[in-house]
Amino acid sequence: MQRRLVRRIGRYVGSIAAVGLTTGVLFSLRHWLNTSTVALLYLLPVGLSAALWGLGPGLGAALVAFFGFNYLFLPPYFTLSVMQPDNLIALLVFLVVAVVISQLLGRIQENLVRARAREHEAIHASEMIKALTGLSNPQGIAAMLADRVLKTFLADHVEVSLQIDAGEDSERVVLPLAIALPREHPTKVLAVQGMNRLLGEIRLWRSAGSFFPEEDRLLGIFASEAALALERSLLAQAENRARVLEQSDTLKSALLSSVSHELRTPLATIMASVSSLRTGEVDWHEEARQELLSAIEEETDHLNQLVGNLLDMSRIEAGILRPQRSWNLLSEVIQSVLRRMRKHTSHHRILVEVPEDLPLVPLDFIQIEQVFTNLLDNSIKYSPPGTSVRIRASILDDKQLIVEVSNEGPPVPAEYLARMFGKFSRLPGVESVTGTGLGLSICKGIIEAHGGRIWAENQPSGLAFRFTLPLDLEGLSAAQPVQT
Amino acid sequence: MTQEPHVLVIDDEPQILRAMRTILAAKRFRVTTASRGEEGLALAAAQPPDLIILDLSLPDLDGIEVCSRIREWSQVPIIVLSVRDAEKDKVAALDRGADDYLTKPFGIEELLARVRVALRHSTQASGSKQVVVHAGDLEIDLSSHVVRKGPEEVKLTGTEYKLLAHLASNAGRVLTHRGILLAVWGPADSDHVEYLRVYMRQLRKKLEDNPDEPQFLLTEPGLGYRFLADA
Repeated sequence: MQRRLVRRIGRYVGSIAAVGLTTGVLFSLRHWLNTSTVALLYLLPVGLSAALWGLGPGLGAALVAFFGFNYLFLPPYFTLSVMQPDNLIALLVFLVVAVVISQLLGRIQENLVRARAREHEAIHASEMIKALTGLSNPQGIAAMLADRVLKTFLADHVEVSLQIDAGEDSERVVLPLAIALPREHPTKVLAVQGMNRLLGEIRLWRSAGSFFPEEDRLLGIFASEAALALERSLLAQAENRARVLEQSDTLKSALLSSVSHELRTPLATIMASVSSLRTGEVDWHEEARQELLSAIEEETDHLNQLVGNLLDMSRIEAGILRPQRSWNLLSEVIQSVLRRMRKHTSHHRILVEVPEDLPLVPLDFIQIEQVFTNLLDNSIKYSPPGTSVRIRASILDDKQLIVEVSNEGPPVPAEYLARMFGKFSRLPGVESVTGTGLGLSICKGIIEAHGGRIWAENQPSGLAFRFTLPLDLEGLSAAQPVQT
Repeated sequence: MTQEPHVLVIDDEPQILRAMRTILAAKRFRVTTASRGEEGLALAAAQPPDLIILDLSLPDLDGIEVCSRIREWSQVPIIVLSVRDAEKDKVAALDRGADDYLTKPFGIEELLARVRVALRHSTQASGSKQVVVHAGDLEIDLSSHVVRKGPEEVKLTGTEYKLLAHLASNAGRVLTHRGILLAVWGPADSDHVEYLRVYMRQLRKKLEDNPDEPQFLLTEPGLGYRFLADA
């Protein structure tokens, strides 16, 4: 690096200049100064040079001062020979003192420089570590490493490539952006070595000068910190993947146990009833026969509903539940649901409060019917017979409709209000009520696919489910027919 | 009808075929079955049935395709069988001439009711059209355009009457949104399902005792409407 060389030469020039200046001053005052004072005064620039610029310039100053002292101030003047023995001693003592001072001061200076360099290194390294700690993705780590290397080493070009998985393409970052890499060999190439394998490499181009050992060391620190960060992020990713797998595994076994139980219960009833009717040993009363037959019918309905729910759930999971929205009257949907659920709702009072002038709503008839079915089913299951279930709808603002299905059942603990809409979520302590815990999560899937929201609220009288539906279809509201 | 009505069931599931054969035979129908579309088409041509029950998911041919191929040469009533959530297929089959549909699984009363309606419709179609349609206390005279609810005459606008007349003259059948819009409003408005919704609400308000629990003007979820007349 040229700058360093210039600075170094500058120091020597400075130290020689200092001695020169001293020589000039002393020479002009030579008639008033004796030899020993001159020698003492000569130590000043020597000490100064050593203190300011280090050992080399100090020694240089000592040498120049030695010759200057001898040549100008020791008789015979203007020669390098010495006449009197005591002058020779003085000269030698001067040289020794000057050299010792230079060495001492120079060493201190060098230590100081080294300490500063270490401090510098430590600052860069810690900045690098700080910058890397927040990063969890390999792309970010590669980009950060390249950026730091470029700035810290004043490089012209930096290329960092990190390989995330063995055998996969590596993440490559080139800085400065949009400038092609030079054709010549990089000034420095350093491997980023992980615990078990090579993670990548740093390539650096710098036209100005070669690399100093301390820079080498710093670059090494950068590389190993980046390797650590990368391995940390890979570990975190692996852990995350493992957790997701574990969760989906738990989910699947929850599904299997819940579904197999839910499917077997009605099947058991059907099987028992059918085989009872078939057996020739018992002569069933007409009443008992009817009882068994209606059990079969009800359980078959139940099974059918269950299979429908499972299918809906898997459609939502697969992301293929796309509503076919068209203009509908909400009252017509509710009417259709109530007609179909008539048998099911016979132990409750169903009150419908839907204003007659409610605008048409863009919705998928079948899917919203399913939402009402599941909400009503839920309301009926969890509220005592003889109580009311209320269906209300109103305009929330000019963009949304709000619908409420409320019952007079017990309140739900606050922490379950949101969790109720999760998959296989069943309220604790209600094991006697049958269900897969799929109904509400299906509602959520359908309402969200419609662009609405669904939630539950405890009210003084009971529990209320609420959902919103957008009133526009692709930005349009319902066209009004010309009345004829 | 002097002889037993002949029903052709086309379905690929042997259990369904077995159940249909047993039930329909017990109800004095003559039953032929086919487990593939091509076989069904061949059977329908060889011994023309009085009614076809057609499953929409067949291994060889699309049920909708079977439906339109039968309609090329026959007006025999067709009832399609399908699962829930297959509304698109049901609409397609109904638009191509199927008369009714049943969602699997279905109860036997439902099946027999649909079969009876379809058979009655086909005899009417071959004979003279019913001019006065009765449904509860409603009386719709299709020749004089007079609609009465009990003793009172109900005033309907032109479009309301056109809609009601279309539904009533197809009483018992499922009419798709598109089919109704085409017949009443014409091709230009066949996509404006919102018109139909508005007019159905008006009709229900004028004709039903409780418009929220209609007895005659029934909604067929996701498909269309059906007018339920007295048998």
